[in-house]
Amino acid sequence: MRLQHFWAWLSLAIGMVYFFLPLIATFEFSLRMRRGVYSFDAYRVVLADPNFQATFGYSVAMALLTIVMGVVLVVPTAYWVRLKLPRWRPVIEFITLLPLVIPAIVIVFGYIRLYNTSSMLPLTGTATGTNFLLLVGYTVLALPYMYRAVDTGLRAIDIATLTEAAQSLGAGWTTILVRVILPNVLVAVLSGAFLTFAIVIGEFTMAALLNRPAFGPYLQVLGANRAYEPAALAVIAFGITWACMGLIQLVTRLQKHTSARR
Amino acid sequence: MPFLEIVHLDKHYGANHVVRDFNLAIDKGEFVSFLGPSGCGKTTTLRMVAGFEFPDTGSIRIDGKDVVDLKPNQRNIGMVFQAYALFPNMTVAQNVAFGLRIAGMARADSDRRVAEMLTMIGLPDLGARYPFQLSGGQQQRVALARALAPRPKVLLLDEPLSALDAKIRISLRDEIRAIQKELGITTIYVTHDQEEALSMSDRIVVMNQGVAEQVGDPFTIYTRPATRFVATFVGTLNGLDARVLDAAAGTVEIEGQTVTLGRPLTAAGGGSVGLSVRPEALALGPGLASLSGRVEDVSFHGPVVRLKISVGGQRLALDTFNTSAFRPPAVGETVTIGFDPADALVA
Repeated sequence: MRLQHFWAWLSLAIGMVYFFLPLIATFEFSLRMRRGVYSFDAYRVVLADPNFQATFGYSVAMALLTIVMGVVLVVPTAYWVRLKLPRWRPVIEFITLLPLVIPAIVIVFGYIRLYNTSSMLPLTGTATGTNFLLLVGYTVLALPYMYRAVDTGLRAIDIATLTEAAQSLGAGWTTILVRVILPNVLVAVLSGAFLTFAIVIGEFTMAALLNRPAFGPYLQVLGANRAYEPAALAVIAFGITWACMGLIQLVTRLQKHTSARR
Repeated sequence: MPFLEIVHLDKHYGANHVVRDFNLAIDKGEFVSFLGPSGCGKTTTLRMVAGFEFPDTGSIRIDGKDVVDLKPNQRNIGMVFQAYALFPNMTVAQNVAFGLRIAGMARADSDRRVAEMLTMIGLPDLGARYPFQLSGGQQQRVALARALAPRPKVLLLDEPLSALDAKIRISLRDEIRAIQKELGITTIYVTHDQEEALSMSDRIVVMNQGVAEQVGDPFTIYTRPATRFVATFVGTLNGLDARVLDAAAGTVEIEGQTVTLGRPLTAAGGGSVGLSVRPEALALGPGLASLSGRVEDVSFHGPVVRLKISVGGQRLALDTFNTSAFRPPAVGETVTIGFDPADALVA
């Protein structure tokens, strides 16, 4: 028994070293900008950089828009599939999983080819059009996570009976979705939203190939030209991702009526 | 003119004919129960009235208006579900106010109505609680208040007590009936529990395989069942195989014992007939018709004692009140059973 404990603890320790050592090393390196002493100079430089503020602001805005678009697209679809088209669930699930097997570079090349300036819908011809294209691309990338999260949330409630109860009280489809279904899958939606946020903030391929001023390409440019700042940026990006994960946990715990689903 | 009229309603699920030419007229304020086994079409019929299922043919008229083509949210119907279906994200008060707010009622009026409804169901102080903080019985009371708050034309209840324990079920069914009488709301109640249907309803529709086998008041359904299915489904029934001795005089032979029913039989002399008698229609001791048998079992059910008696190769159940003077016969003892031939159904 004790030997089993020893191996369990050993594998945990190896895992933690494997994951945390590079992070600790990166963090330690990011503090070495000033010769001979540890300092947060690299962070100060990065945070004061107008390009950092512009690209980070752009990516945050895109992440929020992606979340809105994802929720508007996924919640009614997942709800309708569960309620009226249960036989189509495997098909829809397969479609939502496609972005995991089709590389982002393939998707973005497809967009560029389909929506270039000589096409019927020349979205890449203007900054607004390209931003929209990037937004759609981000929504596609986040689709597997958002759909799965929402679908899991819907599985936990009796949507058929809740829908019928709301209908018998006079509610139409929009009211049912907004006032009954959405609040009851809010934790799931927020989980999907935080995952979407984390994906969009660090995304490089689509933003670079569509030539948009996002945080991912900025990270790459800085990494190619500077020494300590990229390490500081990596730590900041990692912190954002962890904050998102922490928020998912927090929201799940704070949800007042969670026990009603059990 | 009936308040709710169901005319020639028919419904298939693929090759399965679930409701067959269903007709029913319900008066305003009447409490009608659909009673039958699982899969008999009672819930499907109720769901067609609610608008959740669309009939293949037939019409449903509420207050003179055909509602078949109306969506569920346009029918002004209140519904209570077996699984309560309270909105988990809303408090009790918000649940009850939901239909009122949808109807556009001002907040002050809605608050007043919610308070009235919560008082009516005996939970005036629980408005701020969430559904998960309530017991099953309390949740179903809130579901009833929510369904009644917008003052619907018809109240539909789909096995609302099935998920509750026996004691709460009995108290809640009395409450539901009292509230229904107080409000005078036309009600359809779906149940597979005969005791519920018999104790609550003005009329009962006994359904079997999509067909309304009998429609009548509880007393008629129990004492004068129209078909063998109704007789066996509602209450307990003893079945006896008999041979006709004299069809005109109504004399039959059961396991070598002669019984005179006193009414002409359709079967010819020498033919077989089935006799059905309820356990409580039998009594120990000689009656207008009598049989002799041997006691096989005695079981106590609180106020009632049930004897199982073997008459030749056939077994009968006999129910008698457990009074202080009653001394049950011993197992193996030979007893005489009497009954009124008018209480025996012949098929």
